[in-house]
Amino acid sequence: MYVRVFAAVWLLACAGLALLAWGFEAPFAYDPVGPRAYPLLLLFLMACGAAWLLFKPHGEPTPAFDRAKAQRAVLCVLALLAYALLFEILGFVISTALAGFALGLLFNGRLWPSVISGALLGVLLYGLFDYLLDVPLPLGLLRLLES
Amino acid sequence: METLNFLMQGFDVATRPTNLLVALFGAFVGTVVGLLPGLGPINGVALLLPLAFALGLPPETALILLAAVYLGCEYGGRISAILLNVPGDAAAVMTTLDGYPLARQGKAGIALSLSAVSSFVGSIIATCGVVLFAPLLAKWAVAFGPAEYFVLMIFAIACLGGMVGDKPVKTLMAALMGLALATVGVDSTTGVYRFTFGSVSLSDGIQFVIVVIGFFSVSEILLMLEKTHSGQKAVKASGRLLFNFKEFCLTFWTMVRSAVAGFVIGTLPGAGATIASAMTYMSEKRMAGDKGRFGDGDLRGLAAPEAANNASACGSLIPMLTLGVPGSGTTAVMIGALTLYNITPGPLLFEQQPDVVWGLIASLFIGNVILLIMNIPLVGLFSRMLSVPNWVLVPTITVISMVGVYSVHSTVFDLVLMVGLGVFGYLLRKLDFPLSALILGFVLGEMMEDNLRRALSISNGELGILYGSPITLALWALTVAMLAMPGLRWYLKRRRGNAVEAQA
Repeated sequence: MYVRVFAAVWLLACAGLALLAWGFEAPFAYDPVGPRAYPLLLLFLMACGAAWLLFKPHGEPTPAFDRAKAQRAVLCVLALLAYALLFEILGFVISTALAGFALGLLFNGRLWPSVISGALLGVLLYGLFDYLLDVPLPLGLLRLLES
Repeated sequence: METLNFLMQGFDVATRPTNLLVALFGAFVGTVVGLLPGLGPINGVALLLPLAFALGLPPETALILLAAVYLGCEYGGRISAILLNVPGDAAAVMTTLDGYPLARQGKAGIALSLSAVSSFVGSIIATCGVVLFAPLLAKWAVAFGPAEYFVLMIFAIACLGGMVGDKPVKTLMAALMGLALATVGVDSTTGVYRFTFGSVSLSDGIQFVIVVIGFFSVSEILLMLEKTHSGQKAVKASGRLLFNFKEFCLTFWTMVRSAVAGFVIGTLPGAGATIASAMTYMSEKRMAGDKGRFGDGDLRGLAAPEAANNASACGSLIPMLTLGVPGSGTTAVMIGALTLYNITPGPLLFEQQPDVVWGLIASLFIGNVILLIMNIPLVGLFSRMLSVPNWVLVPTITVISMVGVYSVHSTVFDLVLMVGLGVFGYLLRKLDFPLSALILGFVLGEMMEDNLRRALSISNGELGILYGSPITLALWALTVAMLAMPGLRWYLKRRRGNAVEAQA
């Protein structure tokens, strides 16, 4: 079932992208193929594959939708997105501590151990990357302390 | 003779103090990553690649690091397979079949040491194979023009579809998705923007590191969320820690046979360690016949897949070094690493960058010795790492992934893109699409389009050039054979099924 839904969505996506790809025209022909043919070929082949899966979705029977699992997955994605978006604003140390804490809880850690492991991750990895390995990381809010 | 000179030169490179240190570090990290369930060689290489790049390591050192991690993972995967019955990476699935029963019979120490030696034998035989055959193939590959390359890449993708077996359509779809992802960005010949949706950050194309980390690390985190199996007890390694001479003799020829088979399978573009270990296990089982105790603790059943998966890991370096076409998902990542350094892998690599090639090959020998020495006495330390809880492990993986992606361009856009690709990868994995095919497609994508267009420029748009030379014709024939394999297997299975029914 899920494979069918995916195949249908993918078929539509291929159609949309093909419309987009139709507009790729070089102002001047540098080579006989041009920038349009190859993406269109790929999209066509993918659409064929999707159509095949739409009619013959093989594999194991779809497991029942598990609400609790899905909820946790959504929470995890949100935590990761928040981490990505706050990475520069809050700076590495603070955002990592928060993300480490949130993910720790999500993966069945207890409250205080998660707080401590998050904070340790933020501080230790900042030291490791910024000082030892020369990978520059954003300071963010902590820059206020510096000045 | 010439080869020996080059090999000596390679040992010069590989024994430089930094390179030795890096090999040691990579071997250790690789073993740890390999033994952690869920994290395999691709994850290990993907996590360390941005680091190597950000540190400004020279290309040969970076490649030695990645190769050491790759080998280390193949060593590490067996530890959790034997002690926990959970394969540390996909290639170690076969190791669980006989490894775990052995551990439960109180022979964990024997199983661990014997499998370490099998891994070692497998790698060394395969590395010798690399030394012998890679230069020959490289010489031969110089004759490849753009048309031949294009067909070769089609063959590589067909290999994936034919060998992965049970889901050829999904595998090919995944490879096509990878190829399509690679078209994002400015078209290199005409300067036309493709699929950038007006975003400046995408005009450069999607960075390789982002794709790998998104698809493998982020999606892995989401998958780990589902199986929060905690409290699974590892079997304590007790009793005799080392195998005896008789046990070694019993398994020696198994190791050699499996190593050779693993090496051959590894050199095929697209077919990797998982297939090699499965095939050798099956053939050893058949050879042992009724006398074997395969499935409840036969030492040969342990030695065969371990020797084969290490051998195929080394063997997959051959297509990567000589043709620039990856032999496995992990070597696809390594090709990506080389292109970050503006080195195009391919037949000319042997002439233009002998330090890189031979340094890498020599480091395989050194890395294997390090791993063997490390793995026999330190097995207790490694097995203790199996008890690191997920609530520490997952945040650590997350942070390292973020830093890795951030270190490439320092933009938040990349981080968000990584999470997005990760979610997409998670959905694909839930739907049973093999992601290693996608990565292979992504790495091949740009080369494939370039070669196709170059070939057609040469022939002025005439399609005949794609099947004009004997090499292309042979490759097309092989491609068709590969694509026909799943259908043939299905047909044979059905016929056999009918025969059984007729007897009943």
